[in-house]
Amino acid sequence: MELKFLKKLAEMEYKKMIMYPLIIFVAALLIIAVKPPTLGIDLAGGVVVTAQGINDSPENIEKYVQDKTGISVRAEGFSSLSGEKGVNIYAPVGSSPEEIIKVLEEKYPKARYAQSEVQPTFGKLAQRQGIKAIGYAFLGMAVVVFLFFRILIPSGTIIFSAISDMMIALSLMSLTGIELSQATIAALLMLIGYSVDSNILLTTKMLKRKEKDIEKAYFSAVSTGFTMSTTTLGALFALWAISTAQVIDQIASVLMFGLLADFMNTWVLNAGVLKWYLGRGEKQ
Amino acid sequence: MRWKKLLFNWRVILLLIFIISSFASIYANGITYGLDISGGTAITVKLEKPVDSTTMDKVVNSLTNRINRLGVADVKVEPWGNEYIIVKVANVSAETVAGIKDTIEKQGVFYAAFNGEVFATGEDIVQVFAFQVEQSGTWHVPFQLSQSAAEKFARLALGKPNYPVDMFLDPPVNSLLVVSPDLYNTMLTKFNTPAPDALSLPERIKNAFNIDTLIYTNQTPDEIVKAAEGKELVVLVDVNGGLEKYLEEKNLNVRVVERGKGETDEELVVRTLGLYGPYSVSEGLTTGQASTNVEIKGSSPNMYLAQQEASVIAVVLASGSLPIKVHVEGTQFISAELGKDFKRQVLIAGIAALLMVGAIVYAHYRRFKIAIPVVSTSLSEIIIILGVAALIKWNLDLPSIAGIIAAIGTGVDQQIVITDELLGSREKTRITKRSGMLKRMGRAFFVILASATTTVVAMSFLFKFFVGGLRGFAFTTILGVLIGITITRPAYAEIAKFLLGEKR
Repeated sequence: MELKFLKKLAEMEYKKMIMYPLIIFVAALLIIAVKPPTLGIDLAGGVVVTAQGINDSPENIEKYVQDKTGISVRAEGFSSLSGEKGVNIYAPVGSSPEEIIKVLEEKYPKARYAQSEVQPTFGKLAQRQGIKAIGYAFLGMAVVVFLFFRILIPSGTIIFSAISDMMIALSLMSLTGIELSQATIAALLMLIGYSVDSNILLTTKMLKRKEKDIEKAYFSAVSTGFTMSTTTLGALFALWAISTAQVIDQIASVLMFGLLADFMNTWVLNAGVLKWYLGRGEKQ
Repeated sequence: MRWKKLLFNWRVILLLIFIISSFASIYANGITYGLDISGGTAITVKLEKPVDSTTMDKVVNSLTNRINRLGVADVKVEPWGNEYIIVKVANVSAETVAGIKDTIEKQGVFYAAFNGEVFATGEDIVQVFAFQVEQSGTWHVPFQLSQSAAEKFARLALGKPNYPVDMFLDPPVNSLLVVSPDLYNTMLTKFNTPAPDALSLPERIKNAFNIDTLIYTNQTPDEIVKAAEGKELVVLVDVNGGLEKYLEEKNLNVRVVERGKGETDEELVVRTLGLYGPYSVSEGLTTGQASTNVEIKGSSPNMYLAQQEASVIAVVLASGSLPIKVHVEGTQFISAELGKDFKRQVLIAGIAALLMVGAIVYAHYRRFKIAIPVVSTSLSEIIIILGVAALIKWNLDLPSIAGIIAAIGTGVDQQIVITDELLGSREKTRITKRSGMLKRMGRAFFVILASATTTVVAMSFLFKFFVGGLRGFAFTTILGVLIGITITRPAYAEIAKFLLGEKR
């Protein structure tokens, strides 16, 4: 099945290969424009109390805290494979995390608590730094990629596909309700690395190919790429399934989104562009 | 024979050396975890405005010194951009954290005044010596004054025993205090020393800092505006906040001091003025003789409180003046137990992810000869990253762990590239000479080198320009990628060449 799928990809027409990913890219942009991902409290500011080892529904906890403190809170449950349950309680800027923990401790004395409080101004700064970080990383990546290949179209496609990976990951974050936080920004940065890996592999194999046949070169590259993607996806899935730490779950999900997008952007879009680019050269 | 050849390959030897020394390094140094894993408190401190790096260093040093004086064992003060400082403390009690916050916020300009006459500022405090606490709760903080301040004090204090000495940290200089009649009464009666001719507190602060005190008896806002003429600041001390808006509209600088829960009048006055004292001058110091070695003496109900009070005074004296005002903006508290949980989870999830990598690689190639080396190469990469981190005592926080995951992930990718190139060369052209394979390996390493360079360059930007949490991410990613291309990847290529070549 794997082979059939890859063969089909290899035989696809380049126009379609370029068009479909572009449509998805535009759709992702639209989603982000309509509903950008929500900002985590480390970027937007606010208060969060994490309680681990509470075996109660988030709704009950929400109601309990609201009744006792009068603070309007939002609770979100999480659990691990080992069955331990916990809850994250979000409160608006300026509310007292100590107060929330105090009332929770009265009812659930055995749970373990952690708290964070971030001012909106500090969040803004973190936000700016995050955006700058991604910008700089992109710039660095673009320069190096260009220096390695020294041809405009292939290098440009690599850079574009990294951008598209990130945008698709962002749009999926917004659809699945994963917050944009420092941790997920780190994950988006990781995507640059993965995206460059697969794209450089493809571009190298296509440009420096031994095989006369473009399709054969592509097939050899995409087989390797398929192994790479499935392996990484599997590892990320294991991370996601086993950890209850929210941060790790979020990083793993964002990377999975990005890698799925990357599979398309590398092996369909970038491959389509290269097919067209190389085909054009041959005609001349 | 063949195995021996592999074992003596320098790339493999290099890998083995690194793994062994990494174990040694982890064993000897232990791994230092970041606050988000080991538990503790992070306090976000905001500066009044962005500063250059020299000023930032000064503030960081000064804060470090002052917090260290509180006797907290494990404090890290880190700049975050040019406007924020993060103070990280390992597991301490909530009271200690409150004490640290107090110390951070109680920064500022120090003044010592004799009966309303300033004789020393922070710069005149040459040195503060270790304080002593007695069983009875009496404490002493000895310190050294500059010659000029000592002379000024001697002149002022001549023949005036029992007169009050006040110390202030960051008092509201040139301001108008608006207080309730009760509070004013407290200022008049509770801050005196046994010297009947000495000035009262309102008179002393008027003399020393041009602080006027206005008793609030429902005057119209306009009257207050008039009284505040020429003042830099109006301080509303526990009086109706409705005034604030009106005064601000009149372009006055307004500070509102609200009464804290259960705060007494006396405590409120002390907090508003940043006052320490008054201390009465002992007879021995009023002879006109200038003495640079002096001490502040006080008494507290018990030894524990005495210890606290003396340490605060010592810190205040030593603080000198920070170049800029700071305030605490937020705190983040992670319980140690939660951190421990987290560590275990990362470990389990990491092992699961590695096994998953092994399983999928096996599913693709159907060969343990590939799956096992891939997994063990990744494992040795993790060990070496941790070894280096332990060696340089890098704080392993969450973003750093994310970085390790990133490095390992791209590492596995690259091993697959190498494997496929090796397999490809074997399957297609059995007859081609070794040079064919070398060429293919060369191409694999071009791919690896290109992506490694890209990642390293992109992450170097992060590492150089950022000081926040993402720096850890950049660090471990770069470290992992470098270890990958110099040590583990070449060794993997040798091992794979050996194992896959065996069949031929």
